[in-house]
Amino acid sequence: MLDIKLKKSLPGFSLDVSFSVAHEILAIVGPSGCGKTMTLKCIAGLFQGDEGLIALDEKILFDAKHAINLSPRQREVGFVFQNYALFPHMRVFDNIAFGIRQLKREEIKERVSLLLQKMHLVPYGQRYPGQLSGGQQQRVAIARALATEPRVLLLDEPFSALDSIVKESLQDELLELQNFFGGHVILVTHNLAEAYKLSSKIAVYDAGRILQWGDKRTVIEQPANTSVARFTGVKNIFDAVIEESSDQQVMVCIPELEGLFRVNSKTPAGLVKGQQVGVGIRSENIKLVEGNEQNTLAAAVSRVHDEISASVYYFHPLTTGDMQPELEVRVPRLSGGELDAGARFYLHLPPENLFLIPR
Amino acid sequence: MTEIDLIPVWISLKTATTATIITFGLGIAAARWMAGSSFRGKSIIDALFILPLVLPPTVVGFGLLVLFGRNGPIGQVLMQFDRNVIFSWSATVIASTVVAFPLMYQATLAALEQIQPNIEDAARTLGASEWVVFHKITIPLAWPGIAAGTILAFARSLGEFGATLMLAGNIPGKTQTIPLAIYFAVEAGHNTQALYWVLAILLISLASIAALNYWKKRQYSGTGSKLAGLEEVPSHAGYKA
Repeated sequence: MLDIKLKKSLPGFSLDVSFSVAHEILAIVGPSGCGKTMTLKCIAGLFQGDEGLIALDEKILFDAKHAINLSPRQREVGFVFQNYALFPHMRVFDNIAFGIRQLKREEIKERVSLLLQKMHLVPYGQRYPGQLSGGQQQRVAIARALATEPRVLLLDEPFSALDSIVKESLQDELLELQNFFGGHVILVTHNLAEAYKLSSKIAVYDAGRILQWGDKRTVIEQPANTSVARFTGVKNIFDAVIEESSDQQVMVCIPELEGLFRVNSKTPAGLVKGQQVGVGIRSENIKLVEGNEQNTLAAAVSRVHDEISASVYYFHPLTTGDMQPELEVRVPRLSGGELDAGARFYLHLPPENLFLIPR
Repeated sequence: MTEIDLIPVWISLKTATTATIITFGLGIAAARWMAGSSFRGKSIIDALFILPLVLPPTVVGFGLLVLFGRNGPIGQVLMQFDRNVIFSWSATVIASTVVAFPLMYQATLAALEQIQPNIEDAARTLGASEWVVFHKITIPLAWPGIAAGTILAFARSLGEFGATLMLAGNIPGKTQTIPLAIYFAVEAGHNTQALYWVLAILLISLASIAALNYWKKRQYSGTGSKLAGLEEVPSHAGYKA
C-alpha cells in the first residue's frame, strides 16, 4: 500500500491531494498544469512537499512533521519520464544496467537480458537511444526503471508522444507487465480513455486538488460533481428539482425537458423535496425507442456527427417552448439506416443510468 | 644572438598548462553552481565571472596589482605568510587564469544548461548519488562544451600578454613568456629570435588543438562515431515489434 498525503504551494495554485494505491494501476487524469507530474515528482523525492506524509507500506518516504525526507535513491521508486530521459551517451544495455551497476557482472548481464527479452528489445542492446524509435525508447525507459526492482512504478504521460498503433500495443504490454511487476503503479495522463483502459482506479485532478478518486467505473458512472462529469465526457447535464425521495427511488423534475424522471442509481443521502440538483446521463446510455413510456421524451434530430464506430445525434425535445436544450445520443454504428436531421424519436433515459450531481 | 633561447617556451608551457588545469576545475565548479541555482543577484555574479573577458587585459592587470599589491587585501594576507606574488612566476599563472576563466566558465555553463534536467533526475531515481550523477551523466553530456572551453582557455593563457606584463613583469628566465619575449625581441630589433618564438607558439597551439580534439572525440566516442549517422534514423522511425 502506497499512501500519499501531500501539500505543496506552486506558482499559481497549491497542490493538496490525498490518495492511496495497493498493487494496482492508479491513473491520475486532469488537464495540463494541474499538478499531476508534480505529484509524481514528490513521490519520487525529486521535489519536496510542504506538508504531508508519503508511506510505502512500513517505510516512510516523506513525513513533514518528523522532518523525514528520503532521497530519491533510497525510495525504491521507479520513474518513467514523459520524454523518457534516456542517457544519450550510453548504449541501451548500459542504460538499463545503470541502476544496478553495483551488482556482480554476471548478475547484471542476467537481469538486463531478462528485461531486454521482456520488453522485446533483444536486438537493440548495443544501440544508442538516438538510434531507436519512440516506442523502443519508451520500452527502454520502462526496462531501466524496472531493473532496480522498485516497489513503485511512476509513469508520466508514457504514451503521449507515440502514434496510435504503437500506443495500443505498448498499452497492452503495460497491462501484461503489471502481472510480472506486481508493485504499485501510478500513471499520469490527460487522456481519459487511456486511463480507463489501463487502470483500476482513477483520480481526477483539477488545479492541484482531487475532484474524485476511486474505482474507475464509479468515477465514470457516478461523477461526484459537474467538473468530473464534464471531464469524463458527460454532455447531457441538466438542472433539476427533487420531487420525491425515498430509499428506493428518486423522482426529479427537469424543467428544461418538461418532465419527471426516475433515478435509480445510488443517490446522495439526505435529499429533500424541492432541493436543486443536477442530473446527468452519458450519451451512450440514452436509448432510442418507439413508444412513450416512463423516463421518455419525444425529440427530433437536429444534427448528426459521424464517428468511426458510432453515430452521434443531437436531439431537440419536441415539447419545449422557448428553451432549446440539446441531448447528445451516441449510437453504435450498425448495418442499416442512419437517421437524418428532422427524424423524430422517443428518447429513453434509463433510471439506472441517470445520476444526480449535488449542487 | 645565435642560440635559440628555449626558456620562454618552457615558461609559457608551464604557465598555460597550470592555468588551464586551475581554470578547468574552477570553471566547471562555477558553471555547475550557477546552472543549478537561482538566487537574487545571480546575474551580477555571472557578469563578474565574464568581466575579465570584456575588459582590456591591462585593466585586469591593474586590478590584480591592486588586489595582490602590498596594500591590497590579498597581498596583505600573503604578507602574513611572508609571501609576495608580484613579479614572480605565480603571477603569470594568476594573470593567465583570470583571463582564461570566463571562456571555460561560459562554454561549460552553456553545455550544462542544455542538459535536460529530467536526465539527471532519472539517474537520481535509479539510485545514483549526486557525485555519480555528476561524473557519469552531467560531465559526459556536457563534454563537448567542456572540451571546447578547455581549448579556448589554454589558447587564451598561452597568448596572455597585457595582464601578465602588469602583474608579473618581464623578467627573463622567470616571468618572460613567449608573447613577452616576442614583444621585447622585436622592440630590441632581434627579429630572427622573435621569429623562432613565433614558430614555437604556432607549433604549440596547433599541437594542443589537435590533442584536445582527439581527447574530445575519445571521451565522447560513446556517442561520437555512432551519433554521426544519427540523422539517418529519425526518432519516429517505423515501429518494429
